[in-house]
Amino acid sequence: MKSVTNKIDLNNVYKKFITDPENMQPVLGDVSLQIEENEFVVLLGRSGCGKTTLLNIVAGLELATSGKVQVDGIDVTGPGRGKGMVFQQGALFPWLNAEQNIQFAARKQGLNVEQSKELSQKLLLLVGLAGAEKKYPFELSGGMQQRVAIARALALDPQILLMDEPFGALDELTRIEMQNELLRVWSLKQKTVVFVTHSIWEGLMLADRIIVLAPRPGRIVLEKKIDRQRPRKRSDPMLIELYEEIWTSLQ
Amino acid sequence: MNYKIKSLLIPLIVLTVFVLSWELASFWGYLKPTRFPAPSKLLMSFLDLIFSGYPADVTIDQHLLKTIERIIIGFLLSVCLGVPFGLLIGGFHALDRLTSTIIAFCRSIATLSLLPLAIVWFGTGEQSKIFLIAYGCFWVMLSNVIEAVKQVDPLMMKAAKTMDIDGIELFLKVILPSVLPRIFAGMRISLGVGFMVIVGAEMIGTVIGLGSLIMEARTFYRTDITMVGMMILGLMGFLMTTGLAWLEKKLMPWQQQEHDRTSP
Repeated sequence: MKSVTNKIDLNNVYKKFITDPENMQPVLGDVSLQIEENEFVVLLGRSGCGKTTLLNIVAGLELATSGKVQVDGIDVTGPGRGKGMVFQQGALFPWLNAEQNIQFAARKQGLNVEQSKELSQKLLLLVGLAGAEKKYPFELSGGMQQRVAIARALALDPQILLMDEPFGALDELTRIEMQNELLRVWSLKQKTVVFVTHSIWEGLMLADRIIVLAPRPGRIVLEKKIDRQRPRKRSDPMLIELYEEIWTSLQ
Repeated sequence: MNYKIKSLLIPLIVLTVFVLSWELASFWGYLKPTRFPAPSKLLMSFLDLIFSGYPADVTIDQHLLKTIERIIIGFLLSVCLGVPFGLLIGGFHALDRLTSTIIAFCRSIATLSLLPLAIVWFGTGEQSKIFLIAYGCFWVMLSNVIEAVKQVDPLMMKAAKTMDIDGIELFLKVILPSVLPRIFAGMRISLGVGFMVIVGAEMIGTVIGLGSLIMEARTFYRTDITMVGMMILGLMGFLMTTGLAWLEKKLMPWQQQEHDRTSP
């Protein structure tokens, strides 16, 4: 019998910023969370609930004060190529055009010039940006910039995609469009996704599982599996019910 | 009408009207020739400067070249010193905290008030002039580079880290390109400072240079020469900063067209 191993394994993760003596409460107090391979997990919560910190800890950008953080059964000690990250708008290199931004990541993964060119073509096609190769970030709309950012993260060929409010700066309509795009890309390239947001609906549309966090100290207050085909509809009674439940848990 | 022609035509009309009314005002005697020489008189003086020179035999090209030489040497010195020191100070928070007061103070000292000291230190030759220009340019350059480094987007640094970029590579491929626009802006401002300082720097110990031309002419009430010198200096400053802006656009096509008019 094969035992199911977790892709990401967080055990009793505790985080406190020592630089801030005023803030006696830890950012994260004893968070445990297991994420399966190819699962789409959404971390949801108010500002200050530690969801971004949690994501950074998985990414290896920050270290937990105590607790165990493992990816594929190996302790996380720093950022690595197995993990691609997408941030809020503005994390692209403005001096590189769309293609070069993606190729930069591809080269870091060890591909040669030819291969990275090929890969960037493929990825731009995948995220629906064929023809925008030579455009600089400032020439792209917010949604298009985030498409490039997703393609750049994918160029690292990560098994895990970490997304920190990637659509937070977009207008509502573009945002819905981008959610569908992300689901399409995700269905084509199976990845484990950890997605941080403060939009309940965004979580409901995307997640296999929603983790609701509450602040001071950051902790998990609700965990919900969503067994629903995608694309989902906002009119789905089950989702509306879940919305209410999550909203209540956030109070 | 074509937009480009229109945008050129309007300033041209304004300029023509301005010069014409100036000329007429002089002609009808509203403006005194010793205070506001007519444009036609200025043109004559300009031609005079080209062919016979002022003071005798020092023609305009000599003035021009000498001034450009001084400004460029002083300016380049300030860039060569300002960029590395700025990167260093901006990169280390402790160093920035340590030096910020001194830098703010040195920057506030009016450069020309250092003229007597410069003469004591370097004599009345070229060195003191170049020192003054470099001094004025340096602090502007330095503070701009420091600010540039401090304003590197932390999100971008984070993104770079997730791509496994650090150390020298982080500096060369992320920090340097992201501070480049601000460094260029600093260069433009500091070049402007160079043009402000030059007149004072050329006050003593020389008869060659646009600054000394202006001072010399003033002593002999040659308002016309002073004005011509002023205008040439202005035009030169304008051309050089425009050239730098053009170069900036060529070198950094990723920049959004932002017209900052931060000239001193």
